[in-house]
Amino acid sequence: MLDMPTSDPPLVTAADIAAAVVSGRASAATIIDGALARIRGRDPLLNSFTAVTEERARKRAQAVDAARARGAPLGPLAGVPFAVKNLFDVAGLPTLAGSKINRGNPPADRDAALIERLEGAGAILIGALNMGEYAYDFTGENVHDGPSRNPHDINRMSGGSSGGSGSAVGGALVPIALGSDTNGSIRVPSSLCGIFGLKPTYGRLSRARTFPFVASLDHLGPLARTARDLALAYDAMQGFDADDPVCADRPVEPVVPLLEQGADGLRIAVVGGYFKCKSGEVCYAIDRIASALGANRDIELPQAERARSAAFIITATEGASLHLDRLRKRAEDYDPAVRDRLLAGALAPASLVVKAQKFRRWYRDEVLKLFNEVDAILAPATPCTAPLLGQQTFTHGDAELPVRANLGLYTQPISFIGLPVVVVPVPAAPLPIGVQIITAPWREDIALRLAHVLELKGAAAAMPPPA
Amino acid sequence: MKRTVKRTAKGAARRTARRTARVKRKSAANLTRLRTKSGAAKKAAAKKPAPRDAIDVLVEAGAQALDLPFDPAWHAGIKFNLQLILRHAALVDEFPMPDDAEPAPVYHA
Repeated sequence: MLDMPTSDPPLVTAADIAAAVVSGRASAATIIDGALARIRGRDPLLNSFTAVTEERARKRAQAVDAARARGAPLGPLAGVPFAVKNLFDVAGLPTLAGSKINRGNPPADRDAALIERLEGAGAILIGALNMGEYAYDFTGENVHDGPSRNPHDINRMSGGSSGGSGSAVGGALVPIALGSDTNGSIRVPSSLCGIFGLKPTYGRLSRARTFPFVASLDHLGPLARTARDLALAYDAMQGFDADDPVCADRPVEPVVPLLEQGADGLRIAVVGGYFKCKSGEVCYAIDRIASALGANRDIELPQAERARSAAFIITATEGASLHLDRLRKRAEDYDPAVRDRLLAGALAPASLVVKAQKFRRWYRDEVLKLFNEVDAILAPATPCTAPLLGQQTFTHGDAELPVRANLGLYTQPISFIGLPVVVVPVPAAPLPIGVQIITAPWREDIALRLAHVLELKGAAAAMPPPA
Repeated sequence: MKRTVKRTAKGAARRTARRTARVKRKSAANLTRLRTKSGAAKKAAAKKPAPRDAIDVLVEAGAQALDLPFDPAWHAGIKFNLQLILRHAALVDEFPMPDDAEPAPVYHA
């Protein structure tokens, strides 16, 4: 198990940091000193950061403190340190996207849109985070940078592809991190690292100036240690952005003011069929969350297994299309596992891809009908707790499945049609595991309210990393 | 027309160069194998190679047709993944949908 130094300052939530900075109980400079000390002390074990933007963070902290000194208004995330998966553009750094190839690219000349929005709310970027190569990953392993490690047991996977984001937040290095989720890459690490994660509705948050993977499935979102912190980050990042062609032109719908509304009146169901739990820890997590929310309905997502298959095909082929030229020129420089998947995707017939796209519309229409009957659906986030690093297979019912392709088998049928999801962490020994709260498009507020209720009831919580 | 001819000629030259490199790599790999073969490996090598199936052909011909790099050492990995994609595709393919079903290439919530 993890043996971390404990001399560095403990992490507090983003909400508490901002309150302390706004009231003058703490300076942003002190907060950043603490975050840097935690990263220096613990990240050699976790391997979650690929770059620490110390100079930039200190300058930014000085600016926040100077603003307070002159009486200027501070944002809701004043002084809050955060980090981003290294597929986000960070001005002055090449955007790695977990690859060796992108290391030769020129540095980005402007930050990703969501970094600008978080910093606009007073937050302070402190670094870029490890990830699976080109986001084609559920494990958090990376052949170029080494694996990001699970904060609850460093011999285990963080989950991917936003592995560094899960590891950094789960390991209490930063209160908030940003990740991307194409098929489960925010939700899988959230589950395995025992933290809260939000994959918003497709088109809700701008993806401008981030490295893509599968354009029609790519989402960005926050990971945090509390539902409130998740909501604070989410609210700060909402809003139309013409720089992302699929960003929806919708008004900002703040969730923080709604968090205390509770669960009364909400119709909550547990999804069965394809999603029915097949292991003790998954069943325990679902039962605990369903019981805390009084979820007394069962529901089925029609053709969920087929939906997962369709997502698999679209991912393989759209991903291959993105990388075709790079494969021709630099195939030897890819992680062999990623290269083989991409080359296979390039060879899949287009007729099958179009069928998957047709099925997608049918499936979306059928699933949306369910939201006439329920407001939220509960489903497992991962089929198991964190596997060991390098582990190739896991047991799923009677089957032995490959880890790399199947950690996202419960997440893929949901992101396939862009539904918003909050993963809540269920504390358990020896390892935590997550549950998905799925809602209708644009109803992130319901999922976040329920996550907050679960936290208040003690059913969901981010476990502290072992001392 | 001229440009097309030029591109085709260029492509052919690239393919020839790749084929030459492939043969060289293959020879080098074979040489290494000959030098390091264990007893078990020798027995395995004495067995007949598995018969090539349609996926083997698709992998090699597809890579060539799309001008994609291909090393024989990658064959098994690419084949495994292509088989996986095709298994998933079969599940989607067998689902009946009307002729007027509209694809959803970009999802709108």
